[in-house]
Amino acid sequence: MGMDFQVVVLAGGTSKKLLPLVSKEVPKALLPVANRPVLSYVLELLEQSNLKDLIVVVEGEYAALLVGGWISSTYVDRLHVEVAAVPEDVGTTGALRAIAHHLTANDILVVSGDLICDVPPGAVAAAHRRHDAVVTAMLCSAPISGPSESGSSSGKDKAKKPGRHNVIGLDPTKQFLLHIAAGAEVEKDIRIQKSILRAVGEMEIRADLMDAHFYAFKRSVLQEVLNQKETFQSLKQDVLPYLVRSQLRSELLLNGAQAEENGNEKDASQNNKIKLSQLLSNASTPSFHERYALGLKGSASVSRKTHKCCVYIASKSKYCARLNSIQAFSDINRDVTGDASHLSGYSFSAQNNIIHPSAVLGSKTTVGPQCMLGEGSQMGDKCSVKRSVIGRHCRIGSNVKVVNSVVMNHVTIGDGCSIQGSVICSNVQLQERVVLRDCQVGASFVVTSGSEYKGESLARKEKQ
Amino acid sequence: MGGNARCIAMLQAFKEVIKDYSTPPEKTLARDLTAKVNSYVSFLIQCRPLSISMGNAIRFLKAHIAKLPLTMRESEAKASLCSDIDRFIDEKIVLADKVIVRHAVTKIRDGDVLLTYGSSSVVEMILLHALEHEKKFRVVVVDSRPNLEGQTLVRRLMEKGLSCTYTHINAVSYIMHEVTKVFLGAASVLSNGTVYSRVGTACVAMVAHAFRVPVLICCEAYKFHERVQLDSICSNELGDPDAISKVPGRMDVSDSDYRANKENLQFLNLIYDATPSDYVSMIITDYGMIPTTSVPVIVREYGREHLLI
Repeated sequence: MGMDFQVVVLAGGTSKKLLPLVSKEVPKALLPVANRPVLSYVLELLEQSNLKDLIVVVEGEYAALLVGGWISSTYVDRLHVEVAAVPEDVGTTGALRAIAHHLTANDILVVSGDLICDVPPGAVAAAHRRHDAVVTAMLCSAPISGPSESGSSSGKDKAKKPGRHNVIGLDPTKQFLLHIAAGAEVEKDIRIQKSILRAVGEMEIRADLMDAHFYAFKRSVLQEVLNQKETFQSLKQDVLPYLVRSQLRSELLLNGAQAEENGNEKDASQNNKIKLSQLLSNASTPSFHERYALGLKGSASVSRKTHKCCVYIASKSKYCARLNSIQAFSDINRDVTGDASHLSGYSFSAQNNIIHPSAVLGSKTTVGPQCMLGEGSQMGDKCSVKRSVIGRHCRIGSNVKVVNSVVMNHVTIGDGCSIQGSVICSNVQLQERVVLRDCQVGASFVVTSGSEYKGESLARKEKQ
Repeated sequence: MGGNARCIAMLQAFKEVIKDYSTPPEKTLARDLTAKVNSYVSFLIQCRPLSISMGNAIRFLKAHIAKLPLTMRESEAKASLCSDIDRFIDEKIVLADKVIVRHAVTKIRDGDVLLTYGSSSVVEMILLHALEHEKKFRVVVVDSRPNLEGQTLVRRLMEKGLSCTYTHINAVSYIMHEVTKVFLGAASVLSNGTVYSRVGTACVAMVAHAFRVPVLICCEAYKFHERVQLDSICSNELGDPDAISKVPGRMDVSDSDYRANKENLQFLNLIYDATPSDYVSMIITDYGMIPTTSVPVIVREYGREHLLI
């Protein structure tokens, strides 16, 4: 794009919500979705938009090494990536503070590394520039939680109603963000700034939109907020609501360049430039910020400083999801092999599934539609695979049923097993006749033969 | 969105295009850049049909690209084109506006009541300049739905302390008896003297003519065009039909019943209209204050001028 944007990808570390899928060896960024690390989706999206200068921030030194190693082997000539390691649990704002001195461009795109979507970053960047906004957030339709048969790890909310992720307040033109509540605040009362409501006249409150963790910031503003507000931990819960709340009584030092322009004007070309910029700015309809800044009488003496927070609402046809829970992991795997298959980058066979040419299938083994079978995997006879993803170099015995599950690499599954709605991590060994339903099996675990587990999370104790 | 602003923004965008451009191997800069400019222009047309000022500016740019000598190096050619664009903006728009303002201010006398329609950048400059010259006058701003462009003009005039009256076009025949002069802006002036401007201008000019009030059109010369148009329908731009079918704040009128009954009802939201030359007293341009019959002369004599430089 070359539009003077720098991209920061927040790839997280070893998220506690995704245990036991993540481990010391497999940080969240490298979790496979349709046999590709989830970070690869973000990187591909950025590469397609010609955004090649990235900073990837990873929590934890060792995780950063793993991520860096994978990136340099996969994207050696395609992207220019700097991997930065930050201490664990600093929050998204802390991560940005650590790399703040590397930021040089006018605008910064901050993307969460677990985002899988096909919205072009150029659209968000264009919306950001068009309004000269301080921050632009991408919003997408909130996903409805998956069908109850796949279950959920907490087992608490079996209800099928869509989860409430964010409460968003928009202006009538749906371009400006007037209110945002996230996380725990969502369940409490909504508090709205009266001044904002009075200035804009009409506010639309939406609960069906979700913050996609894809932001465009003006660099000077971001650095100012990071420096001044030491207590801010999270972009989504602290920085963004702060910017949205204070948009009509801005405390930011915006546009220091403007002060210079008001200096000595005797130069004719300067005069022309000012006339030009006035012509251009007079032509467009003023937003409610500009009207508020001028005050009721239109006198410039009561000038109040305002800044703009814009939104970009992704159209419903676009796919947008975040990998932030085990339920989401299963859902996204299902979506990428099913409805959103254009994201996976693979070409589907006639039976609407992807079977690697080196995979070996036994006799009478069926692989249903929307399935994936990775490189070098072998399946025994009379197996049945439905709506599942199987990784590389797996050895699956005979009479095995795999339904609605994700099996990662180098897994050995004995004969007669039945796996439903589960996630099996790499290097796991399932002995004969194991029945798993809605379970998560951590890496390198051995499940003894004949065991039956339902809704459990099995993992080896981490070697310290 | 004013004609001048659109033209300037487009030219500035083309300057960026030229700065970022690099000639592919085996191709000449002139031909390849012209082809690229054509593709960008078709993209712009897809977003919104070009205004006449934009069309003239593109013709100017393509003429200058075509005139580049083949032996010129790429960096020099790019710099030359960028400076040509800057000169076009400075001479044909910014400087032209200054000249128009100076001519027009001589026509404003103390005690005048000036009427303007919509929001024209030149007319605004004239009014503010006259205010700076301590002339005593007041302004009537006539506005119309759905764009309500006059409101932004009134806000800016009030900021400077000008006494304004704001009304809608349905009351123009009432207010016209107090008015001494009418200043109107134009998107273009055609060869037969027809003024092509924002829809509603013709109405205001006709009413002014009926009340024997002089109508002064303020238009830069680069907006003149050689074509001839007799009415507003043969060539125009259509706006958003929903803009006129919905009235903000009036739920009874904005009913969707209207839109459901598609066979009998068509919403026509025209953007421009054509004011016949009989209603125009004088056109103030950067070439001076001319009658409408002199427009084809300027198009003929000075139309090729910028190409000869």
